[in-house]
Amino acid sequence: MSLFFQSLVLGVLLGGLYALLAAGLTLYFGVMRVVMIAHSAFLILAAYLAWFFTTETGLDPLLSLVVTVPLFFVTGVLMQRLLISRLRPATLTMMSVLLTFSIALVIEGMLGFVFSGTQRRIRLPYSGESIELFGANIAVVKLIAFGLAAVSLGALFLILKMTQFGQALRATIQHPDAARLIGINTDRIAGYGFGLGLATAAIGGTALALDSTIYPSLHWHWIGPLMAIIVVGGLGSIPGAAIAAMLLGLGQSLLQIPLGTTWAQTIFYVALFATLMVRPQGFFGGRLAQRF
Amino acid sequence: MTETATGTRIGLATECLSKSFGGVTAVDGASVQFHHGKVNALIGPNGSGKTTFFNCVTGMIKPDSGRATYLGDDITGKASHRIARAGIGRSFQLCRVFPRMTVMENMLVAVRSTSLRHLAAPARSTAEVDRARELLSRVGIDHLENSEARDISYGQQKLLELAGVLMADPETIMLDEPAGGVNPALIDRIATLVRDLNAEGKTFLIVEHNMDLVMSLSDHVVVFDRGRQICEGPPSVVQSDPRVLEAYLGI
Amino acid sequence: MLTKGMGLLVLAAAVLAFPSLAPDPFILSVGVVIMSYAVLATSWNFVGGFTGYISLGHASYSGLGAYGTALLVIHTGINPWVAMILGGLGVAVLAVPIGIASLRVRGASFVIVSIAMVLILLLVFQSWGEVTGGSNGLRVPRPFDESVLRPEQHERFFYLHAALLAVALLVWWAIDRSRFGTGLKAIREDEDKAQSLGVPTFNYKLTAFVISAFFTALGGGMYALWFGFLDPIFQFSILVGSYMVLMSLLGGIRSLLGPFLGAVIVGYAVEFFKNQYGDTQFHLVAMGLLLGVVVLFMPDGIIPAVSQLIDRFRPQAASIREVSAGELAEQRRTASGPGASTAADPATDDESTDRLSEGVQR
Repeated sequence: MSLFFQSLVLGVLLGGLYALLAAGLTLYFGVMRVVMIAHSAFLILAAYLAWFFTTETGLDPLLSLVVTVPLFFVTGVLMQRLLISRLRPATLTMMSVLLTFSIALVIEGMLGFVFSGTQRRIRLPYSGESIELFGANIAVVKLIAFGLAAVSLGALFLILKMTQFGQALRATIQHPDAARLIGINTDRIAGYGFGLGLATAAIGGTALALDSTIYPSLHWHWIGPLMAIIVVGGLGSIPGAAIAAMLLGLGQSLLQIPLGTTWAQTIFYVALFATLMVRPQGFFGGRLAQRF
Repeated sequence: MTETATGTRIGLATECLSKSFGGVTAVDGASVQFHHGKVNALIGPNGSGKTTFFNCVTGMIKPDSGRATYLGDDITGKASHRIARAGIGRSFQLCRVFPRMTVMENMLVAVRSTSLRHLAAPARSTAEVDRARELLSRVGIDHLENSEARDISYGQQKLLELAGVLMADPETIMLDEPAGGVNPALIDRIATLVRDLNAEGKTFLIVEHNMDLVMSLSDHVVVFDRGRQICEGPPSVVQSDPRVLEAYLGI
Repeated sequence: MLTKGMGLLVLAAAVLAFPSLAPDPFILSVGVVIMSYAVLATSWNFVGGFTGYISLGHASYSGLGAYGTALLVIHTGINPWVAMILGGLGVAVLAVPIGIASLRVRGASFVIVSIAMVLILLLVFQSWGEVTGGSNGLRVPRPFDESVLRPEQHERFFYLHAALLAVALLVWWAIDRSRFGTGLKAIREDEDKAQSLGVPTFNYKLTAFVISAFFTALGGGMYALWFGFLDPIFQFSILVGSYMVLMSLLGGIRSLLGPFLGAVIVGYAVEFFKNQYGDTQFHLVAMGLLLGVVVLFMPDGIIPAVSQLIDRFRPQAASIREVSAGELAEQRRTASGPGASTAADPATDDESTDRLSEGVQR
């Protein structure tokens, strides 16, 4: 029972991180109809930057966010403006996949080149500490990671709901032509959407670096589950992605008890296929991949 | 069911067809009847849901509710290739051709295959190529047969699209703004084609903004406003209907 | 037509002569690898080139073909070539539900599923050790006798791969000129438009996808029999799938021989770098940069670019006729004086008027 509860709590904590990252992936898809394969490569890049920051300066990895979040935001804007927008609209979906895929390869290769393929892990004074919560033993770093993800997700939600920029962004996602007609500069908004998406990768990467061992090719373990999440949630729907992330994160965590870590990962792919077979528009919210 | 009191046969018809995107209702319970064998026009101010209606009927998007029938058969929500095979051909608002295929290949796409053997056979069979050439020369672009569709001018692409639709030999042809963005000489040519083809028995359903063209060409006009029909009848009647003026001028 | 036939003949002769020209067994083995890549890239191009749907996960089907062939040979002891074909058929059957799931909705789902397939298969084949050998790998029995020496093996497999490539090219060519192929290309250009003309787009895409998976699996199976050893990490690798994409794209996905040309260039480069610098992380960077450059600057590939260049220097029948139509309008205009251009026949209308109206439209 306590094992079950422990997995439940860990599942929620993991789901939170998935939700933040899936929200980023949804943003790119929403504003540009781009499946951003490099999202998880940027995630690992941010994790490496956090690790590098801590080993060099001895400061807390969370402080690296001050650098990485703005850096990633600008990178995202530039990536959209300089690369993605150059692609022909007719073949945008397919070619953008290839382009972001090639970016992922370059990042993975560079990480291996600069930091070598060795596995890295941040040593923190509170790395070993844990809190007892209703009989479940939860590592402090996991709680911090979850808190970071939850706060960022909340902030993202507020930006989208409360600000004028958020309104313009949502209009661009729902109906780009109509948004353009009412005077929204959809190109600029798409750039900022990309920046925001990449900023989630910066935060997620730092959270990941807190309690995981990282290596250059780790991003492949993340992109599969994340893509499954955004399909299950309904491509383009941020709340859908968040709910799907939570459910699948929980499912993965609970399945680890009877199946072990490797097989538990298959839940994402099973859910992906089930969704495409039964309800291709996704389970939570509208789907943008439809025509028109 | 497909006969009205006056003896006109009803081809395409809808009952309470609705479609909304998010919070915007584009087609709002539209019940429309189009006359078979005639030139029908669908007009209405910008944003009145004409193109969405078009797309719902031709299976490009699924309506939220309501029914669409063709000669009495239910075609609601069927895939667009099935509707095409039921005898309805259509053009697109911003003319759509296959850009990196030659004009002739564009024509051959519409050839229907019923058997695997036919499907696996070379696309350039003499009979089909001849028929394609005939249609191309009818619209006046047979000399461009081997050019890629992206290399020909916009007006020529428009003619190619029309010829491609004809290649599938549909009974009913739906044209979405055939006069949009083309020069006056070409408009005349398209109008003549529509008249000739109608005389040969083809039914037309035309969405158009060019009022002169609509009024001179059509036998039956349906006026749309805010996603539904507000008025129908022969051009002369529709022209003087106060509801139409109101919809257009917003009085 | 004649020059095309001559070109093909020269190409075939060059391929057939390669083993006898190769200076040493190593170069010969590189030749086999390149031919294997050519088979895979050409197989990929059944779906990529005809329908425009880009699969990044075709390593799934080559990997499954390889393991299917190997496991059939090991457990049933049947003739390896029969096993290879059975493996291909099995993968083709498996491709049906995968295709249904990924092609029913357009666009992104296909790519997502293609990547997911590789990741899931890597997971399964690594974990399911008792059947697949897991990460320790799987030794594949050789189809030829022990008495056949290494160079001789390479030579035989070079010709076998070349034969498989020839079959794949022949089928691709047959589809390209068929009515089915015309429908597929229409899907690539504008799927909605194709469907509105009566093309059953979903069935067409699915068929192309299954054919592609079948040939890819055959390519994987043949590679397994040649290489003799399978490791999930190399079989179900995203990188192998992306090689197929890069090769096809670089050569030109709309041409018959594009993927072959791309395989020769990329395959040679990959083997050269591996030999020169070993298996460093740097080849990832090079691969990524090359793919990015191709996608951004020459998405149509080498073959269309070169043939366009040739066309510019050599007037062709079609362009002559086109020009004459334009000249006709020009003559008419000069004959009737300025201001008559609007009255000109619209079909032979000059570019500027139509471009203008296009501008108005958009």
